[in-house]
Amino acid sequence: MKPRMLSSTPNPLATLTHRIVQWARRKSPWILHFNSGGCNGCDIELLDLLTPRYDVERLGILKEASPRHADILLCTGPVTRQSRDRLLRIYEQMPAPKWVVSMGSCSCSGGVFQGGHNILGGVDQVLPVDMYIFGCPCRPEAIIDGLVRLLEQIK
Amino acid sequence: MLLKLLIFPGFLFLFLCALFFDWVDRRMLARFQGRVGPPWYQPVADLIKLLAKEDILPTGVNPLTAAVLPMVSLAAVLTAGLYIPFGAFSTASFEGDLIVVLFLLSIPALAYFLAGWISTGVYSVLGGSRALLQYFSYEVPFLMALAGPAILAGSWSITHIVDYQSQTIWIALMQPLGFVLAIIGLIGKLKRDPLDIPKAKSEVVAGSLTEFSGRKLALWHLTMNMQTVVGIFLLVNLFMGQSSVFGPIPAFLSFGLKSVGILLLLSTASALYARLRIDQLATLGWRVLAPLALVQILVATWIGG
Repeated sequence: MKPRMLSSTPNPLATLTHRIVQWARRKSPWILHFNSGGCNGCDIELLDLLTPRYDVERLGILKEASPRHADILLCTGPVTRQSRDRLLRIYEQMPAPKWVVSMGSCSCSGGVFQGGHNILGGVDQVLPVDMYIFGCPCRPEAIIDGLVRLLEQIK
Repeated sequence: MLLKLLIFPGFLFLFLCALFFDWVDRRMLARFQGRVGPPWYQPVADLIKLLAKEDILPTGVNPLTAAVLPMVSLAAVLTAGLYIPFGAFSTASFEGDLIVVLFLLSIPALAYFLAGWISTGVYSVLGGSRALLQYFSYEVPFLMALAGPAILAGSWSITHIVDYQSQTIWIALMQPLGFVLAIIGLIGKLKRDPLDIPKAKSEVVAGSLTEFSGRKLALWHLTMNMQTVVGIFLLVNLFMGQSSVFGPIPAFLSFGLKSVGILLLLSTASALYARLRIDQLATLGWRVLAPLALVQILVATWIGG
């Protein structure tokens, strides 16, 4: 869900509040990770982000365990018919404003699993995706780049 | 008086300290782990973001109780903060304020348990009951450890205990055992890393706060951070009060340095030690910490008479 649009007549106080809030949203994205049926490769690359080498906490990114605390849903793996309902339910539990990042080739398009009898396809078959990060598995640098570009869009 | 209450050493000061301490803690933990850590504005950004987020409650949760619990715990912690002198500045002080502070500081623990109980989630209830069990394990040794300075100074007033230390030396040097017990108790009270059993991410998601989002979560986080500040200030007053050692340095500066010192001690503990299980904590609390605290009280009674 996108942040609320401003009214056409700009109120300086409202504009200032809006800018401060959007700044805070850019600086403090908390991530919820969900694997909807992948091979676990991307998940391990995602955990790299928390290691000293990449350390995304310097960007304010924290990995949260509860959907209610999260801002960004980071999906890995293709969506299977079984995990579709769980994925939707987790997304609906997140408070607005929220963003969805599709991470890895499977999550973006279904990848090598495309056309399988139990596969719906990429995450965009179920949820509105805000950022696609390709790679099999994607490198941690690519994930950080994708997240930073997503955050730049929050204005 | 209103200025003292609201600005210094009252609410605004405690609020800024809470944000600062949160950042120092996270930064130090990151440095211990070889990471860079968050920038200085991180706690501010987290707070504003949470305040601006949607507020969801699961069905079956009483919205009034859910809204009141974080406010009550924040109010209790802030009230406790009023009775704790900062250096030479104190808002209010009377004989027995130490007991009032200790009771006020245990309200958030009960509110935390209730928050888990009303959330109707599995993880919340589990986290809440863990929090209550943890409360029974650390609180008794903590109270007995804090009774040591009071017995030694012959007064239940924090200001008197500080004055007592100005004439002699830090009570931490006279009662090192009590100081260590108080630090362990404080870690348990703040649910910090070696004793973060009620909110262990890999076990119970986020404990009692699993179902809380938006403003309520922001208030809970603020309560936790304020509790860290108030708890550290309390320990500094009781165990490392004004002393002739820091003669030329102004009281508020040395007080701030000592507080950050204790915060670094807590960060080191959370970087060094792995989480205990809840049964291990109960065993530690009742078989080790409580008898040691009793020994400390006996020694204090014997010395201080």
